[in-house]
Amino acid sequence: MTASVEPMPLPAQRGTALSRALERVRHWVLPAYAGLALAYLFLPIAIVIAFSFNDPKGRFNYTWSGFTFKNWAHPFAVPGIGSALRISLEIALISSVVATALGALMALGMMRHRFRGRGLINTLVFIPMTTPEIVMGSSLLTLFFQKWPLIGYWHLGFGTILVAHITFNISYVVVTVRARLAGFDNHVEEAAHDLGADGWTTFWKVTLPLIAPGVLAAGLLAFALSVDDFVITYFNSGETTTFPLFVWGAARVATPPQINVIGTMIFVVAVGIALTNVIAQGRRARRIAAA
Amino acid sequence: MGPGLAVLLLFFVVPMYYLAHQSLETGSLEVGYTFKWAWHNYSDAISSNHQQLLRSLSYAAISTGIAVVVSYPLAYWIAFRGGRWKNLFLLLVIAPFFVTYLIRTLAWETILADGGPVVGVLRWLHVLGGDGRLLATSAAVIAGITYNFMPFMVLPLYASLEQIDVRLLDAAHDLYASRRLSFLRVTLPLSLPGLFAGTLLTFIPAAGDFINAQLLGTPKQYMIGNVIQSKFLELTDYPQAAALSFVLMAAILLVVLVYARILGTERLTG
Amino acid sequence: MTAPMTRKQLLRRAAAGAGALTLPGLLSGFDPAEVLAAGKPFAGKTLRFSNWPLYIDVNEKSKQHPSLQQFTKQTGIKVAYTEDINDNAQFFGKIEGPLSRHQGVGRDLVVMTDSSGLPARMIQLGWLEKLDKKLIPNIKNLQPTQRHPSWDPQRNYSLPWQSGMTGIGFDPKKTGGPVNTVSELLDNKKLKGKVTFLTEMSDTIGLVMLDNGDDPSKVTNKTFNRAVQRIQKAVNSGQIRQFTGNDYAPLLAKGDVWACLAWSGDMVQLQADHPGLKWVQPTRGAMVWTDNMLIPKGGNVQLASTYMNFCYQPKIAAEIEDYVNYICPVVGADKVLRKTDPDVAKNTLIFPTQKMFKNAHQFDAKASQNAGYKAAFQKLIGA
Repeated sequence: MTASVEPMPLPAQRGTALSRALERVRHWVLPAYAGLALAYLFLPIAIVIAFSFNDPKGRFNYTWSGFTFKNWAHPFAVPGIGSALRISLEIALISSVVATALGALMALGMMRHRFRGRGLINTLVFIPMTTPEIVMGSSLLTLFFQKWPLIGYWHLGFGTILVAHITFNISYVVVTVRARLAGFDNHVEEAAHDLGADGWTTFWKVTLPLIAPGVLAAGLLAFALSVDDFVITYFNSGETTTFPLFVWGAARVATPPQINVIGTMIFVVAVGIALTNVIAQGRRARRIAAA
Repeated sequence: MGPGLAVLLLFFVVPMYYLAHQSLETGSLEVGYTFKWAWHNYSDAISSNHQQLLRSLSYAAISTGIAVVVSYPLAYWIAFRGGRWKNLFLLLVIAPFFVTYLIRTLAWETILADGGPVVGVLRWLHVLGGDGRLLATSAAVIAGITYNFMPFMVLPLYASLEQIDVRLLDAAHDLYASRRLSFLRVTLPLSLPGLFAGTLLTFIPAAGDFINAQLLGTPKQYMIGNVIQSKFLELTDYPQAAALSFVLMAAILLVVLVYARILGTERLTG
Repeated sequence: MTAPMTRKQLLRRAAAGAGALTLPGLLSGFDPAEVLAAGKPFAGKTLRFSNWPLYIDVNEKSKQHPSLQQFTKQTGIKVAYTEDINDNAQFFGKIEGPLSRHQGVGRDLVVMTDSSGLPARMIQLGWLEKLDKKLIPNIKNLQPTQRHPSWDPQRNYSLPWQSGMTGIGFDPKKTGGPVNTVSELLDNKKLKGKVTFLTEMSDTIGLVMLDNGDDPSKVTNKTFNRAVQRIQKAVNSGQIRQFTGNDYAPLLAKGDVWACLAWSGDMVQLQADHPGLKWVQPTRGAMVWTDNMLIPKGGNVQLASTYMNFCYQPKIAAEIEDYVNYICPVVGADKVLRKTDPDVAKNTLIFPTQKMFKNAHQFDAKASQNAGYKAAFQKLIGA
C-alpha cells in the first residue's frame, strides 16, 4: 500500500509559534480523547465503588444513606455470595482458557488452508453470536437432559455451565484472533521452516508470539463474557449458583452493598495483577539493559 | 482446528437442530407438540413483530457506529502510545465487566436520574427531547447497549492496530505524507480487519439484546429480544419463539453478509 | 402431654401391631407431631429445597440458616438449600423440559408464586405431587383467608410460604399529596411520565380491573379488554413511564418515579432508608399474591411434607418472618414476634389487619394462564 505524494508545506510555514502551539494541541488531542473514553467506561464504576461504602438501613442499596467500612470488613457476609463468586471465577478462568485455545487453533486452521467448506465454517462461526441467549440456553439444556450414549445423564451444574460457556466463547475468540491474523505474514513461518524449525517449534516460537496480543484480547473478552453471563448460565446451571445468577436472584428482595464490594475487589485485583506485571517487566528490562 | 469445530458441532449445531425442529411444531404443553411443518410460525413471527425487528437492527447499528467513534481513538492510543502499559489498559477496558451488569446499570440509573446533574445540564442546554429525561428513552437504551459492548469493539481493534509496523508510518512521513493522509492511507486500511471484527462483535449480539430495553426503555423501545423472551418465558410458545429466533438470526446474517461484501472479506479475514 | 417414645418403644409397638411398619398405622391413636419428633423416621435423608434468594432467615455471622439447622436437629433430615429461583417464568422455563418428559428435577421442594398462574398450570399438567397432609398437622395454623385458593381449593398441592400485597407506592413530597386510587396513576396529568406499572399481568390488570369496578377473580373478555384499553391509553400518552419488575424500587427511591404499583415487601425495605415513602391499598382494592411451597413430580413427598409441618409452627414461622419481612401465612407468628421483635409485629405491611385482608383480592388463576389474555398483555407492555 503506497501513500500518494503531497507537496510539502512551504518551509516558511513551519516553525511559527502558532504552528508549534497547534502541534502541541494536536499532540494532546488523542490522549485527551482516549482519556475521555476511559472516563466514560469508568463513570458507572466510580458510582459502584462509592456505593460499596454505603450504609443502607434497608436491604436495597439504591440511594446514599451514610458512609461505612463495614461492608468492606465483611465482604462475604451475605451467605452464598462467596461461593457464587468462586464458581464464577473458576468457570470464567477455565472456559476462557479452553475457548481461547480452541478458537485460536481454529482461526489458524481457517487462515492457512483453502479447503472446501471453509465458507460454511466461516458462517458457522458467526451463527452462535447471532443466536438469542434464551434459545441457545434452553436448546442446550434440551441436549443435556437427553440420555447420552456412554455418559448417560448429565449432571446439571458446574460441568454443564462450563461446556455452555466454552461453546459460546469460541465464536468470539475466532473472530478476534482472525482480525489479528489478517495482517499475518506467512513468510515468517516459511522462513522458520527454512531455518530447520519443525511445526511445533515454529508455532511456539514464531507464530504464537506474533499473534499473542490478539490471543490475549480474545482471552480477556471470553473471560468477561463468561463472568457476566446470565441467561445461558441460568438454564444450564442445575442448582449451582454463579455470581450473576446470585445478584439477579437476590435483586428481587435486596441489593446488598457487598455486591459492590466484591465487584470492586475483582476490579482492583485484576488491575493490580496487570500493574505488578508491568512493573516487573520494566525492572527486568532495566536489569537486562544494565547488565 | 478439529476440537474447536467438534465443540461447536456437538454443543451448538445439534441444539440448533432441536430448535429448528421445534420451530416447525404446533401445540402447547397441555396438548403436546406435534411436528407439522408449521411454516406459519415463521410468517406469523415476521408479520407481528417486524417493527421490533427493524428497531433492533437499527439500535444495534447506531450503537455500533457510536462504539466505533468512541473506541477507535482509544484503541489507537493504547496500541501506539501505550508502551509497556498496553496490557494494563486492555485490562482496564475489560474490568467494568467484572462488576455485574445489574449493578453497572443501577449506577447508570443514578448518573442519568431525572433529578441528577447530567439531565440538569442537558435540560439547560435544551437538547433533551419531549420526555425531558434520559432514562426510559431510546437514548438510554442505545447508550446502554453501546456501553455494554465497548470492550468488544476496543479489543479486536487494538489487536489489529497493534500489529501495524510503525516503520510504515515513518516511511509515509518520509514520503511527505501529512499525518491525516498517512492515517487514511496506511493505518486505517491496515486496521480494517480489526474494525470489521469489532463491528461484528458489537452489532451481532446487540441486535439480540433485550435487557437494556427492559431496564432502560419504555414499551416503545422494546426490541426483538424482548419479544423472544416473552414468547418463550411468559407465553411458553416455544415454536414461535424458535421461529422468531431463526428469523432474527437470518436477518443479522443478511446484514453481515452485505456488510462483508461491501468491505471485501477475503482481505479482512485472511 | 405423654412422654415421647424412644425408638425402641416405637418399633416394639409397631411389631406388636398388625401389618407392616407403615406410618399411618403407627400414627393411629398417637399425636403425629410427637411421634415424628420422637421417632425421627427420616433421619439421615436430605431434603432438596429450592427457594428465592434471601427468602429465609439467616444468621449473618455464621452464614447459616438457623431455622434449617433447627429442622435438622428436630428431625434428623439434612437440607440442601439452594437459592436458584429468581423469576417464576424463568424457573418454569428451566424445569419444564425434564418435567414434560416425565423426568425429575432433582428437587423435593420449590417455591413459586400463585399470581403467575404457574402453580395452577403445573397442577393441571400433573407436574406436582400431592402433599402428605398426615405429616402436616400444623396446617391448622394456616391463615383462614389462605385456606381455599381457587386453584387448589383443598390445599392438596401447595402451602403458602410468604405472601405479599400489591398496592400503590408513592412519595408524597413529589406527588403533593396521597395517591389512593389507580385512577390517579392513569389519569392524573401531573404524574405523567412518573408512573410505573408492573410486568406481572395479575397485578397490573387486576388492580385496573378493581378500579373499573370489575372482579379480578372472575375475569371475562369484556372486563379484561376494558382494563387493557385503559392501560393502553396511558402507555400511548406517555403517562406510564415503564413496566417493571421490582426495578421500580430504585426509581421510586431516587425520585425518577413518583407513584407506582408496588409490592408491600419492597416498601418495608425502602421505608427503612426513606421513611417518607408510603404504601397504600388502593381504595377500590389491592391484590394479594402468595409464594407457595410445591413438590415437583419425583420429589420426596415425605421429606417435603415434614418440612412444611415444621415451618408452620408459630415459633419457627416467627423466626423466618423476622428476617424475610413479607406477609406471614402462619397464625400465631405475630404473637411470638410481639415479644421478641415488636416493630416487626406492629408493621401492617408484614402483619396486615383483617380489614386489609378483606380489601385484598386474588387474580383469576385460569385467566393467568389464558394464552389469549397473556398474549394481549405482552403486546400491551411492548413485547
